[in-house]
Order: sequence, then structure tokens, then C-alpha cells
Amino acid sequence: MKRSTFLGLALVPAAATALSACSDGGASSGSTTLRVILANHVWTEAIKAAIPDFEKSSGLKVELTTLGEDQLSDQYNVKLNAGTGDLDVMMYRPLQEGKLFAKNGWMADLTSKSKADKAYDWADFQESPIKATTYKDKVVGVPIITEREVLYYRKDLVQKAGFAGPPKTLDELKAQAAKIATDNPGVAGFVARTGKSPAVTQFSSFLYSYGADWTTADGKSALDNPKALDAYKMYGGLIKDYGPKNVSTDMSWPQAMAIFQQGQAAFYTEADSLYKNATDPTKSKVADTVGFAQFPAGPAGSKPYNIPSWALGVNKASTNQDNAWKFIAWATSKEMSLKTQQAGVPSARNSVWANPEGVKGYPKDIVDATLASVKVGVDHDRPVVVKVSQARELVGAPIVDAITGKDVAASVADAHKKFDAFLADEK
Amino acid sequence: MRTSPAYRVFRVVAIVLIVVAMLLPIIWMVMSSFKTNIDIFDTAKTIFFAPTLANYTTVLAQANYLKFVWNSFLVAFAATALSLLLGVPAAYSMSRFSMNKSALVVLMARVIPGVSLLVPWYYVFSNLRMVGGYGVLILSHMFVSLPLIVYIMMGFFDGLPTELEESGEVDGLTPLGAFWHLTLPLSTPGVATAGVLSFIFSWNNFMFALVLAGANTKTLPVAIFDFVGYASIDWGGLMAASSVVTLPIMVIALFAQKYVVSGLTAGATKG
Amino acid sequence: MNEQVTRPADRTTLGIKPTPGWARWVNEHRKWVLAAPAMIFVAALIVFPLVWTMYLSLTDAEGSVRADKEFIGLGNYLKVLSDTERFWPAVGRTALFTVVVLTFEMIFGMVIALLLRRSFKGERLVRLAILMPLVATPVAVGMMWRLIFDPNIGLANAALALVKIPPQPWLAGQYTALPTTMLIDIWQWTPMVALILLAGLTSLSDEPDEAAQIDGASTWQRFWHVTLPLLMPTVIVALLLRGIDALKTFDILYATKGKGGGSYHEVETLNVYAYGLSFDYNEYGVSSTVLILFFLIIIGCMWALAGRGKK
Repeated sequence: MKRSTFLGLALVPAAATALSACSDGGASSGSTTLRVILANHVWTEAIKAAIPDFEKSSGLKVELTTLGEDQLSDQYNVKLNAGTGDLDVMMYRPLQEGKLFAKNGWMADLTSKSKADKAYDWADFQESPIKATTYKDKVVGVPIITEREVLYYRKDLVQKAGFAGPPKTLDELKAQAAKIATDNPGVAGFVARTGKSPAVTQFSSFLYSYGADWTTADGKSALDNPKALDAYKMYGGLIKDYGPKNVSTDMSWPQAMAIFQQGQAAFYTEADSLYKNATDPTKSKVADTVGFAQFPAGPAGSKPYNIPSWALGVNKASTNQDNAWKFIAWATSKEMSLKTQQAGVPSARNSVWANPEGVKGYPKDIVDATLASVKVGVDHDRPVVVKVSQARELVGAPIVDAITGKDVAASVADAHKKFDAFLADEK
Repeated sequence: MRTSPAYRVFRVVAIVLIVVAMLLPIIWMVMSSFKTNIDIFDTAKTIFFAPTLANYTTVLAQANYLKFVWNSFLVAFAATALSLLLGVPAAYSMSRFSMNKSALVVLMARVIPGVSLLVPWYYVFSNLRMVGGYGVLILSHMFVSLPLIVYIMMGFFDGLPTELEESGEVDGLTPLGAFWHLTLPLSTPGVATAGVLSFIFSWNNFMFALVLAGANTKTLPVAIFDFVGYASIDWGGLMAASSVVTLPIMVIALFAQKYVVSGLTAGATKG
Repeated sequence: MNEQVTRPADRTTLGIKPTPGWARWVNEHRKWVLAAPAMIFVAALIVFPLVWTMYLSLTDAEGSVRADKEFIGLGNYLKVLSDTERFWPAVGRTALFTVVVLTFEMIFGMVIALLLRRSFKGERLVRLAILMPLVATPVAVGMMWRLIFDPNIGLANAALALVKIPPQPWLAGQYTALPTTMLIDIWQWTPMVALILLAGLTSLSDEPDEAAQIDGASTWQRFWHVTLPLLMPTVIVALLLRGIDALKTFDILYATKGKGGGSYHEVETLNVYAYGLSFDYNEYGVSSTVLILFFLIIIGCMWALAGRGKK
């Protein structure tokens, strides 16, 4: 191509850049446009479909951005740190970043707004999720999705091994996993997350079911409790002895789920919100023989977590807070919550669970497991601190050591020391 | 040609092996895009499986997918063109005048870790009301391309003898005229190489688009994450989306090849 | 040597008009007129972030960059430089990773460039094929490799099983993770080196090489004593560009092992560590310190390299 032609072509983008730098950029003028950021989730899909109705009834325009979980987190980090008012409504994880965001003053206070409208019925929300979205007595978010840990299991393998049903206690789980693994070479008895940080949440139910917790009432580390050690040993032992061969020590749910989907494991403890991955025949080889049961009981009973995985909040620096609330009120209303629950997303409203319409379409055993779990559930699945990532790595280290066969007692003692120092530092 | 038959055979075998090694994972990825999610994880179904077009339907039916292709193309093209505009003359000057220290200033753009750029840039561009527009994406991509282009061209210009311009000046061309009429045409392979690489880097850039792009200006790498959800990963969709992303670049690369190859004839006319 | 240059007849034939005054000024000052725009562009975009990062590294910023922070001088630097748990291992991994991948990429890249130097049938398609690893979206590439290398359901072990080799942990093993990522990196970036070297090779004239062949030099001698010295400027460029990128490798490591570079930080290099400090731990003071130190390390390496090879 001739040089002059190329030069001409090159100058066009220059002009275009100069022009576009001014137009189409940044915040839209006028507060009738709402900037909403949501995570990729079935909930988001359901809401997205209904947004045109919202726009019609409210007269507002919604500018929606959807991102994967990690990318979302990165975006928030950059945008909220820069402190500009470029986003109005945010979908966040109350237990992962809620405390940090609230502490930094990035969340708007929704207390009065949430209680203003009787029809909205703030009291209808479940107690534990609300606790997680409240900071220092101020409401900073509205929970939209809840999850609990349940036991995924292979009905066919359990039956073949001669058991009457899925295990009801952790010891039974161990026994069943052992027998199935021996009888079926190539199939692991048990699989679960193994990554230092990802495994913490799924391990938490084990911890609570042994009667232990992360911290004591006065905010010190509770890992020196011998029951905690037992819990670590149980979780790690199950994977070490009856888990997949050569198991990777950085599996999060996609990797663990894949193993279960391919039919290579009999039992899998995981969040119930992921159940569709196991029951969808286009994704799972074992779709027609997968069952769900309540988390098996440990010495202290069955104590799975029951947490709000996601919530909606308003950016404190937003110049559009009233309209932002309008969106949230609509998306979390009784009507919308029913719709999203029907789409397969467990909501945080009691009325929706009580409504038979709300549980239609879910496999029956998941509904049973969920309802049972809500009654006994613990309201946190990880240490409730500001620096959640570091905390997860500290308390998750013994999990990985237990899986790889290292000295668990020493590892837990070490984690206890470090966690204690960490907690003292946070105060 | 004075190459021995043994060498010719060796050469063919070597090239075939290399091509296979480079292409195998890509072929696997494209094949996966025609598999159902179950089959992707099933090693028994690696070669023989029942193909499906469902993944591509998902990808193309998704709102705005073609818009993202356009966005990526626009940004990559503009960033590359502008970087060439700024970078080639700069490289020429830096080469002819041995401006090594000045060249290092430009290289700094490539040295600085991207993490340290995100918050400050977002802050500045947000206050300039530029976030979400094409301009800021193009600028950030140029930042990455410029050092690449400058250094590749510098190496190239270093290899062209100064007698080239001197003879032109003897004939009455100004130094810049000599550059335009003599040097530049001979550097087409360098410009094509630098341009293609710059385009590719821009096309695949993820970090800046993630933070600086708006809903309408999102580029492909960010859009691909739409298939990565909180509660499920649509692997088939991801593979299909990736395959679709790769296609335009292949076309561009094929087109640019002509100019990389033209160097073969140009090289023969140089002293 | 000048005879073979296409000589313009004279200015009127080329249609060049007499030089106006402004053009004379531009020609006289061409050194800076040509170079300045690029330099100004880079400087403008880099100054604020650089200064901002340096400032943050001297504070104890955490949680939020706008929260109250205290100026603690070199406190962060002392803490980081004495951190033998995360920082120094990260430095070690970064060095190891960079040296290994760079060595292989340069060698393989050179081999490929030499093989493709002379014209042959189907060369366009071969060149295209070689570009593929570079072109494929890094995000998908990372996830794809993660799947391929999965010890239980991945293709790699299935292929090994065909030739009766026992399954390897690949990315899952504590000591095999880093080498596996090196493999992926070499696969992905050798094409870039090959492309740059090839462009350089095609612009070299054939004469010296043919002359040497007539003189009876062996293939290796021709390469080492004739081709390589002539190609040196291009080699340095490839080394410099790929070297800097290799030091900063992030996408592959993050996509395959996630945050923290794995549960035992198996693949945590400096860039991964700094990213984790910023985005995971929100420890902005410390992450800025690591970034500044990282920046200085890269500059140090560049200085050593650029000083050696430049004309």
C-alpha cells in the first residue's frame, strides 16, 4: 500500500480518538441513567430479562455491566479506590468484601430507605443474611442470594454398595466413601475443594459440626480448640485417603465439580447454589443419579453455613442514590424474589421459601436439604474480618497440609499463632 | 539453491513438527468448541465425538457479540496505527542519532508493571470524563505498543546503512525526504512485523479494557468472561468465543504477511 | 555497495518542490522533532502513576488508598527486603522462570527463523500456523492448558498413558507446577521471538553467507561467525522485549494457579505477588513497595543487557 495512503489511514484514528475522547465517555449526564454492575450469575440473567419492565415503570434507564466474579472484584478495587461516582448499584459479596467496603465508607446507608415502605417488608428477610449486610447497626446492603453447604452424592453408587441412603453423620460418610472407593477402582470416594483459600468456606461446615469456630467470643483465634484439629483431620483425611489420585492442591469448585460431573467421585460437599452443574445433562454425566442430602452431622450436630453469597449495595459516592434504591427495591421485592427463586436462585426472603410456587422446579431433595439447613445454619462460612483474603490463607493452610499428609497438628498450631497475631493486628 | 537434499528433508520434517506443536492445542480448542460441555472433560471423546453447533449459537446470539468484535478491531487498529505514526519516526531518529537514553524513556512504558497503572489512570481519566469511551482504551493500548514498535524498528534501522540516506541527500533530497522516499520503503518488513505484533497485543489486552471500558466499548477478552459465571462455567461457549475471537486476527495476519515477505526482495537490493 | 540501491534520478523527476522555510527548520531539528512525540506521550502517561506508587510505598496504606495513612518512610522497604517467606522466594522464582523461558525461546525462535528464512511452498500458511499461539486469547489459553494438564481428566496424562508413562501431577505438583508453566510460556511466546528474528534475517543480504559457503565454512560456522553477528541488533531487541515481558509474566500464572500462585505459592513471581498484595490483601503500601523494587530490578537487568550489546 502506498505510504501516503497508509499515512492517511493512520490519521483517521487520530482524529477519531480526539473526538471520542470528549464524547461517549464516562458518566452520563442527568440522573435518570442508572449505572448498575452485576456479577455473572443465574440471578443476573433473570433480572436482566426483567429490566425493560423496570425501565418502563420507573422511567429510568439502566446501564448494565456484567462481569465474572474475580473481574468484578478487581473493578471494584480500582473504581472505589479512585473514589469517583461512576457506579450506582453494586452487587457484592457481604462476607468477602462487605466489611472492607463498609469500613472504607464506600457503602451508602440504606437503613431508613429499607424500612420506609411497609409493602417492601424488610422483616421478611432471613435473619442471618441481614446480619451480614449490616455494619455497625446500619444497613448497607440487601441480600439477594443465599447458599448452604450440602452433600452431593451418587445414588447409584450408594445403592450398589448396599447402603440404605446417604450418610447422616461424618463418620458414616467416611465409611461409605471408603467402601465405595474400594469397590470401584477409578472412582474416588470423596472430592471437595482443595485450594488453600477456596476450601475454607466448604471446610467451615466441618469445623462447626465438630463444635468449633474460627474465633472466640472476644475476637481471638479459636483454632487451638482440639475439636478444630479433628475437623481439619477429617476434611483433609477424606481427600487424602479417599480422594482422587494425584489430586491438585489448588482446586476450586470448577475443578472439583468437573471431577464429580465426570462420574469420578461418589461424594462431594459443596454449596447448594451450584447444584445445577450436577443436574444439567449437558454438563454432567451423572445428572440422573445425583442426589442431595443435608450436611452430615459431626459430634456437635449438623451445622452447615447459611450465608448470603451476594447482596446489592449503593455506592456512597454515587450522585444518584435515590434512583439506585428504586432499582434495588424492585429487584429485591417479593415479586422479583419469587421470580429469581423460580429461576433456580435461593433467595433470602422467608415468604418466598414458604410459598409452594417458590420451590417448584427444584429437585425435591435439594429443597429438603435447604429448608433443614436454614434452621440450623451458621451465619458465616469464613472468618468475619476486614482482611478476608489473608485470613482465609492463614486458616486454610492446615487444610492443604492435611490433604498432602503433612503434620496437621503442627500446622494447626502454627496457623493458630499466626491467626491470633493477625486478629490482634486488625483491632 | 545450494542446500543439500539431506538438509531439505530435515527442514521439511522440522517445520512439520513445529507447526504441529504450535497448532495442536489450538486445534484442540477449536474442536472443543464443537463439543458439549460433558464431552470436553471426557478424554475418551477427544477425537471422536458428536459435534454440536450449540456453542456457536450461544456466542453469536448473545447480545452485542459482534459489537465487541468491532470494538476490539477499532481499538487495536487505531492504537497500532497511531503507535506506528509516533513510533517509527522516533525509532528512526533514535537509531540514527544513537539516542539510547531517550529510547529507554520509551521502554519504561513496557517495564512498569500494569498493576501500578490501574488506579492512578482510572482516577485521572475518570476526572477527565473519559472513562468508557474509545479514546482512553486507544491511549492505554498505545502505551503498550509504542515501546514494542520503537525497539523493533530501532533494531531494523540499525541494520540499514546510513549510506542509503547519504546517497539520497547527494541527489538533493532533504534528510527527511530521504527517510520518506528511501528508508521507509525498505523497512516494510520491520513495520509489518511491528504492526502485526502490536495489533495482536492490543487485541488480546485484557487488564486495561476491564477497568477503563464501558458497557458499549467492551472489547473481546473482557466479553469472554461473560461465559465464566459464579455458579457455572460454560466451557463450550468459552471455547467457541475464543475461536471466534481468533478468526479476525488470522485474517489480519494473513494480510500482513505480504509485507513481511516483501523484505525478501528488498533485502536483495541492498548493499 | 551503493550501486544496487535504487537511485532516484533527481528531485524534479520525483516531483519534489523546493524546500519551504518551515521544512528546513524541521529537517534541521529532526532529531527531536521525530523522537519527541513518542517520548512525551510515554512520559505524560507514566509520570503520575510512577510518582503515586513511589509515594504510596512510603506510607502504610491499606484497605483503601484514600483512607488515613501514615508516612512511614522506608519502613515498608525494610519489611519487604527482610521477608524471606514471600518476597525473596518470589524474586527467585521470577529469576528462574525468566532465565529458563528466555533461553529456550531465543534458541527455538532462532531455529524457527533460520528454517523459515528461505522461501518455500506453503510458507504463508506455516507462518500463520506459527502465529497461532500468540494470537489465541490468553484467557482461554490459560483455562485450556489448565484443563489439558488436569491430572485426572486432562489430555496430557491421557496422552502419556498411551506411551505407558505414568501420570504426572503437572500443574498440581508442588515442584512441577513452575516447570509446567514454563512449558506453556515457551509454547506461547517462541513465535514472537521467531517473528522478530525472521524479520531481521530477511533484511540481511545473502552475500556474506554465500561467500562464506564458497570459502568452505560449515553450517555452524556460517551461522556463528557470519549470520549471528549481523543479526545482533535484532537479537538484542528480541532479548530485551521478551526479557521484560518474561519478568512481568502474569496471565499464564494467574490463569493456571489462581491467586497467590497456588496454595504453596508454587508459581508466585514478583508480579503475581504484587497483584495479590494490591487486589487480594488491599495492602497498598506494601504492594507499592514491591512494585517499585520490581521496577528497579527490571531496570537493572536492562542496564546490564543494553550496555553490552548496543553499538
